Amino acid sequence: MIRSILYIRLKQAGRVATGLGLGRCLFLAGVSGFLAFLLFLQTAAFPNSLYAAGIYLAVIFLLQLNRPDKQFLKITFIHHKVIFLAEYLLLLIPLLICLAYHQLYQLLTATFVIAFLITHVDYKARHRSMNTMIQRVIPASCFEWKSGVRTSLVLMGVVWVTGMYTSFFIASVPVVLFFLGILPLGFYERGEPVQMVLAYEMGAVSFILYKIKMQVVLFTILSMPLILAFCIFHPDIWYIPVLEFLVLITSQGYLVLVKYAFYQPNTKPGGAQVFGLLGTIGLIIPILIPLVWLLSVRFYFKSVSNLNFYLDDYN
Amino acid sequence: MITIENLTVSYGTTKKVIDTLDLELPDCTIHGVVGLNGSGKTTLLNAIYGLKKTDSGRILYNNRKINKKEMSLLVTENYFYPNITGREYLGLFDNLAFGTDKWNALFLLPLDDIIDHYSSGMKKKLAFMGILKQDKPVMILDEPFNGLDIEACRIIRQVLLRLKDRGKTVIITSHIIETLTNLCDHLHYLEKGKIILTKNKEEFGAFEKEIFASIENKNETLINELTAHGPDHLPD
Repeated sequence: MIRSILYIRLKQAGRVATGLGLGRCLFLAGVSGFLAFLLFLQTAAFPNSLYAAGIYLAVIFLLQLNRPDKQFLKITFIHHKVIFLAEYLLLLIPLLICLAYHQLYQLLTATFVIAFLITHVDYKARHRSMNTMIQRVIPASCFEWKSGVRTSLVLMGVVWVTGMYTSFFIASVPVVLFFLGILPLGFYERGEPVQMVLAYEMGAVSFILYKIKMQVVLFTILSMPLILAFCIFHPDIWYIPVLEFLVLITSQGYLVLVKYAFYQPNTKPGGAQVFGLLGTIGLIIPILIPLVWLLSVRFYFKSVSNLNFYLDDYN
Repeated sequence: MITIENLTVSYGTTKKVIDTLDLELPDCTIHGVVGLNGSGKTTLLNAIYGLKKTDSGRILYNNRKINKKEMSLLVTENYFYPNITGREYLGLFDNLAFGTDKWNALFLLPLDDIIDHYSSGMKKKLAFMGILKQDKPVMILDEPFNGLDIEACRIIRQVLLRLKDRGKTVIITSHIIETLTNLCDHLHYLEKGKIILTKNKEEFGAFEKEIFASIENKNETLINELTAHGPDHLPD
């Protein structure tokens, strides 16, 4: 059973790779190699190895929470948890090798145990019909924000209010801005039905520029009070949140471009997920930011060409 | 008039789903496209709407290339963007004259609830309201009656008949002939990517008989063979 499932996974990975093309696959292999090298360096010393393992396992945990095939596997296979464990251990191979190489056997054992425990997590987030004034204020065309705010309004609200109240601390606003910059990255994962794209009645270029504009406007409205509060308390270093805001704005634009570069109606395309994740990693590892900018240019042309198929009659 | 000339659509390089199909669909009429699963109904509609690349042929509306601005499409899957309400979905379509709440008196949808909580029938009704709000001259409906209760089927049928009188052209697919016989002006039977039979309203009785006869003859022998040994001993 596990062998056949893993064989199917291999074929699925092959299809995603074919969809991405050789160039992008090589590029992603390079980025993955770089990340594996960072992991190897970070796991050399104890406190950092703990953080690295923690982040790695957090990603696996999020995967378990959000994987769309969970219900299918539960219905189809009695021993679905064994399948989860086999898959997660495969994904954990780089971490396990690093921990074994650096002889961190306690952490290695803990990683196995936590991976086993993760397979037992069966939480499904409830969809909430929260209709607040905020959803009504967001324009109808920004349905990603309406949807995203509905699921994470409480979290966003708590973080934002905390940021405002603690803005006299020098680190508070930059940290909150970073967090608010990462949250909308999840809003653009899924492709909407084609009717929703056509409802704008715009050509591909106008559509893309409009979507980026609205993303920038909404994120600016969210961030500006925090930046102003920071500038009031720390006028001598006003440029820190401003520069951070500019970097975050480019990531927001990148996200829109990735979504429509790989857009297919009603799906979560593999390419968009992979390159969207790269955008998030780019915020965490600043060395990758110029790469995100370069890719933004590439994805602008790709998204226009992709959307032209659907929107050619509006050009 | 929608004119489809010599239309061929393939998946990959070999699998022809629509094969040199010719069809004329006059204005202000309702056309039903009937066929078995996999006969090419959805592909035909997607090709007309421009969601599927065609290998050859052309689709004209009043003697010029058909344009998405003139069409609305109801797809067979009940997919909507997650975590948005029915009202937010309808709010995307720009038509101030459309009375959302008035129309909803017919469909009784919880428009302020998120669509993820809707049943499949409710999603279908919402998608249909979206089509009505778009108010395009050509309406393309792929399996619009799937998952709907009797009352909703009746409402949609009545609405479509009224819209036809107001000048709309409607193309509907279904794999259940009975849902189309008291709605359509013309029925087309699609098999292996070709229209093999077209009948007008007056000939629908003969249409049903011909279709059922061909299906029964094809499968009778195989069903007898497969079920001869009982359910515990099905042949390989």
